[in-house]
Amino acid sequence: MKQLKNKLAAGFVALFAFGTTPVIADETCQSPYMPKITGQEEFVYVWTLGEAGVGDESDKLVTVDVRPESDSYGKVIASLSVGGLNEAHHGGFSADRRYFWAGGLDTNKIFIFDIHSDAAKPKLHKVVDSFVKDSGGAVGPHTFYGLPGRMMITALSNDKDHGGRTALVEYTNEGDYVATYWMPTAENPQGAKIDSPVVDGFGYDVRALIRKNIMLTSSFTGWSNYMMDFGKMLKDEAAMKRFGQTVVQWDLHTRQPKKVMHVPGAPLEIRFPWGPNSNYAFTTTALTSKLWLIHEDDEGEWHSKPVADIGDPSKVPLPVDISIAADDQHLWINSFLDGMTRLFDISDPHAPKQVYEKKIASQVNMVSQSWDGKRVYFTSSLLANWDKKGADNEQFLKAYDWNGKELIEKFSIDFHKEGLGRAHIMRFGSSKLYSS
Amino acid sequence: MKYAVLSNGNLEGSQRRLGASLLVSFGVLLIAGIGLAVGTRDWRQEEQVYPVIAEAGNFADLFEKTEEYNFDPPVPGSYALPPLKQAPDGQVLDFVGRETELAGLLKGKISLVSFVYVLCSDENGCPIAMSTLFNIHEASAELPALRDDVQLVTISFDPERDTPEAMASFAYPVLSDAEKESKLDWRFLTTSGNRALKPIIDGFGQAIDRSGDEDVINHLLRMYLVDRSGRIRNVYGLGMIDPRLLMTDIETLMMEEVS
Repeated sequence: MKQLKNKLAAGFVALFAFGTTPVIADETCQSPYMPKITGQEEFVYVWTLGEAGVGDESDKLVTVDVRPESDSYGKVIASLSVGGLNEAHHGGFSADRRYFWAGGLDTNKIFIFDIHSDAAKPKLHKVVDSFVKDSGGAVGPHTFYGLPGRMMITALSNDKDHGGRTALVEYTNEGDYVATYWMPTAENPQGAKIDSPVVDGFGYDVRALIRKNIMLTSSFTGWSNYMMDFGKMLKDEAAMKRFGQTVVQWDLHTRQPKKVMHVPGAPLEIRFPWGPNSNYAFTTTALTSKLWLIHEDDEGEWHSKPVADIGDPSKVPLPVDISIAADDQHLWINSFLDGMTRLFDISDPHAPKQVYEKKIASQVNMVSQSWDGKRVYFTSSLLANWDKKGADNEQFLKAYDWNGKELIEKFSIDFHKEGLGRAHIMRFGSSKLYSS
Repeated sequence: MKYAVLSNGNLEGSQRRLGASLLVSFGVLLIAGIGLAVGTRDWRQEEQVYPVIAEAGNFADLFEKTEEYNFDPPVPGSYALPPLKQAPDGQVLDFVGRETELAGLLKGKISLVSFVYVLCSDENGCPIAMSTLFNIHEASAELPALRDDVQLVTISFDPERDTPEAMASFAYPVLSDAEKESKLDWRFLTTSGNRALKPIIDGFGQAIDRSGDEDVINHLLRMYLVDRSGRIRNVYGLGMIDPRLLMTDIETLMMEEVS
């Protein structure tokens, strides 16, 4: 049957606003089901951990004005405290981009913010506080990946042993529980093909390639580690063995695991390219400091292989967030412990090459870029108990322009001086997404 | 080429009220119809008992794999479609202006529900939904017993312009189809106004956004699978409007009923 041509070309073009112009857009790392900001983002939302001795010491959603013509450009224009500490970590928009879901890895609370009524001033719409009970024991809601009508959430742990075995948990857009999909394990592979000496059942990120009906999940570590003091954990041999070593390929439509691949060293963020014929994804391993390619061969089989070192792996720079350019030619890779960002040329995904690096600060975690790649934002916090101590505990949002050769700082917000806390995940907002 | 002939005839008869915009919409249907490819199996030669899935093979086999949906669909019945929520009720108008309750229309059959507006010409919007539903409607002639269990429901979210008369024109190719009695019922519905519409689109979760251009209603393409009890069992967006997936989900619901 003949379908309309080009309907998926140029990414998944969304239909919301900017007058009649279709809107496509960190933008580069979001759910493809979602309307994107291809022009200038207006706001950066920062899900921020409360910190002892800083402001109200509570987690909060911070809104920063990034409209270049605005009098408040580069300033915090809203701060919405949720009261208390939850180990605020990641968040994501619903597929209609009207709500921002943000999780707490310790309390398991999910905060759903309304960002469409007033994009400059989010308001708390709903709190889901039954995640563990709903899911049947999953702990640590991490990635929030918007699917039509629902939210797919990866968990990091479980309430039996607080280790890394965990699940995917699905909710409706209204915040009602739908289903739990436990990760395949050695004891219960759930029909998945095993291509790994370890089948750990751990989880971290989730991303999908709709055109191939593929969903990939990565694997980190459980509550007992991510809530432990970082220095203490490094000296704990048993704890250091409790890190993920797998990437799982799923059937996106049925949510059934299809294959377990070996990716040792705690594979974290997963990014698919946007090209209409690009059947691969990237991930980085935190402990082994490698860039991995998850790719499909000519027979339709998916495989994993390391394709580049990130910095000097012997120095354990600890790669964290990554951001792929909309044209699939470059990948920003942050590493936490050395505070560096590195840009890799990924035009040949099987042989990426570093083309640029810059020290952002004493520590750096998240990176988000605009759809056109000209603006790049960085934040600082990894986990409350893993962030550096003392003067090295810099907490910030930094904005840069990327001119193709170097990063040029536009503004920096000190989250300590502003009384905010530890800056974690960023997402872009725009009032133009909602024209009525 | 029966689909090409059918579509041409319908185009000539459908130009009266909605002019160019309608041509755009049905142009899409025409293109899709010409390209329709159905399986070679002669379903009519086989015993048609409920469920029609008995001995029938997979519904998805009616359609070919495409580059846009470059995978083999899952085996029907091999997975679950957990209920998401109850589909909303509301007063709707059929194409002759009769008012009825949406919940009553949905009850008893598995429904593929789509939201459109007639003037929509965005290639990533309503035309995709309509062309896919048109192809499913055409292909359903190969499974005549399926009309007892499955229906297509299209609801306008532009009630001011999409009057019952406008919907009748929009639906002309389907309503005038000489073979429609062997195909799925396809209900074309509108509402008396935005007040009647709001609980329906809010209940389904179909976000729409009126822009400064009054001719354009920004929206995200969504389609909904509703079971016989009126529960939403799946939500589809751009990139998921694969007739094989839609038919596999329908088959899965039917298998669930007899399991």
